[in-house]
Amino acid sequence: MARKWEELAEDDGYSLGDADGFPDAADVEADVDYEPPINTGFGQKPVRIPLVLVLLAALGGAMFAATSTADFAAHLDRQVHSVTCSVMPGGEAGMENGCKVVMMSPYSSWFRTDYWGGIPISLFALAVFCFLAYRAAHLAWKGGEATRAETGFLLAATVLPVVMSVGYGYISYSEVGALCTVCAGIYVVSGLTFVGALAAFVMSSSPPMGDPDGARRFGVGVLEGVGFVVVLTMVWLVFIPQTEANERGVSGCGTLVQPEDPAGIMLDIGRNPGKAASIELLDPLCPACKAFDGRLHESGLDKTLDLRAVLFPLDAECNWMLTESLHPGACAVSEAMLCANGQSDVRAILQWAFENQAALLEAAKDGDGPVRSQIKAAFPAVGGCLGTPVARNRVVKSLRWAVANALPVMTPQLFVKGNRLCDEDTDLGLEYTLTRMVGGAK
Amino acid sequence: MNDIMRRAIVGVPALLVPLLMVSSWLGAAESRLNAADYTAEEEVAIASVSEDAYCTPKLKAIVRRVATACGLVGASGRGCQPAVAKNVAQLTDDEFNALFRPLEKRAHIVQFDADSVDLDPSGVRTVETAWAAQQGASFFFVVARASPDGKTEHNEKLSAGRARSVLGHLEQKFRDPDIAKQVGLLWLGEDFAQLGEEFCGWQRSRTEECTEKEINRSAFVAWIDCAI
Repeated sequence: MARKWEELAEDDGYSLGDADGFPDAADVEADVDYEPPINTGFGQKPVRIPLVLVLLAALGGAMFAATSTADFAAHLDRQVHSVTCSVMPGGEAGMENGCKVVMMSPYSSWFRTDYWGGIPISLFALAVFCFLAYRAAHLAWKGGEATRAETGFLLAATVLPVVMSVGYGYISYSEVGALCTVCAGIYVVSGLTFVGALAAFVMSSSPPMGDPDGARRFGVGVLEGVGFVVVLTMVWLVFIPQTEANERGVSGCGTLVQPEDPAGIMLDIGRNPGKAASIELLDPLCPACKAFDGRLHESGLDKTLDLRAVLFPLDAECNWMLTESLHPGACAVSEAMLCANGQSDVRAILQWAFENQAALLEAAKDGDGPVRSQIKAAFPAVGGCLGTPVARNRVVKSLRWAVANALPVMTPQLFVKGNRLCDEDTDLGLEYTLTRMVGGAK
Repeated sequence: MNDIMRRAIVGVPALLVPLLMVSSWLGAAESRLNAADYTAEEEVAIASVSEDAYCTPKLKAIVRRVATACGLVGASGRGCQPAVAKNVAQLTDDEFNALFRPLEKRAHIVQFDADSVDLDPSGVRTVETAWAAQQGASFFFVVARASPDGKTEHNEKLSAGRARSVLGHLEQKFRDPDIAKQVGLLWLGEDFAQLGEEFCGWQRSRTEECTEKEINRSAFVAWIDCAI
């Protein structure tokens, strides 16, 4: 193999005077006609072009990752903030919701049960892109002195963001169901860093077998990369807010004064006998309830709860506490769920309502008749009950359960063992707080 | 310049800049978190029973007296005798009926055959529809009457039977544990607060021609949206 590389090098116009691929000065002096190869040669300026591409792409990636990390960090104050969804001025319109959904999903950070909010994946991305920028800038500066082992390492390092981008892109599409444009920016620049690094690797012609320091340099590179990630992670862990507010959230925000269900209106939506007895106040056409349900499921926390639901449709058709409907059609869906109480259809109807939420809300804008028709078509078993005085009365009973407990007019609300999960703990702090509320605190 | 220097010149800022940014973001979040006042009252509406505009102080006083006298508020029994109803109302016939006029859209009048306490199918539907429209109301009043035909004593029993028919159907149909706490019965017989013909224009269980006699062979049912 070494012989082959030697022959190739000689074909390129120079001989391998030493193991690092550089021609010896003596060789050059001996051959005054030696001319370095153009555009392909190791040590020539053109290799800087792809390295500069890697540098720019890595800086872009660092900018995207920093934007996302800053947004995430801002939410650690347990307050409501907007989420940056475009780094282009004026590009926010209509995008924020998807970005927020992605950021609040359990996939946006790691170690959520250990730290309120966890460590955002974008922090790791920031570390990796800063590291890639550093490596690319260093190699570009070295120019002709860069070894092929170094460009090879750079190429290998760019594989990590590509693999992570593919993985997270898939999760975003298949599990979260929302697109984050800042994340998409990261996916694109990840690809660009890889392409640039590949080009730099191809354009540098030093044979990797001929670099005795290659393995050492590769190892140093790995250590440097790990160092970037570790240092930034340590900084995060040192500075992450660990205040009383987070611990106060564990004891909940209020209690149920009348948790009993004399009217039989509580619905089984996730029974796990023996687990923490929990009640969720929800509206089947409330987007926040859908997102909360998704977070409970994706985080696996639903398995730790013996969950029942009390319906609280935010629809003025049946809810006298509203002057106008926030979620038209919710009364009809609630009636259907209460009609199906005791049957497996309850969860199925809720799932159907979540999946068709936007269409159902749109259909009910001028009255809930179309929603009732759709329910009857999808769930014929409840057709005979829907709209009857008994069904309507049960919705009233559900609403009055909230009155009896003097609950805020909002959804969703989760009560674990009678204690209300604070509103600010329903997204980023969900795993941290809920784990402790159900008794599994670490 | 050797390679280590070049690495340092490029690498240190590459690490230091994000490090400072991250620590600054987290520090700012912690400052805001510590500055937040979690003892402040949340500006969120609280779920409550309804209180409609027609709930004048006078009506609320009547409702409270009737509800108490009829055993809905902390007392032992249910149902008010006509004399008691008169006493708790402390109003003339017209004043009593005037209080209920704002309930035109909320109330239903369940009509009965002469000398009968049985609900017919349309009466059943009307009672169920009225009950299902509770929303945020706290009390369901059943005010039964009789036309002045026959003896006063008989008509008193007749109106009491009509009120109990409505209650019995509600209990049998809805099996609602709140019925005992929410339904107030008044039977007025023929001697107090008879309805005038203008009530024929309200939501009735029957569509046939309506006279003053027929409108008083009835039970006036309505949810009262007053928080007592």
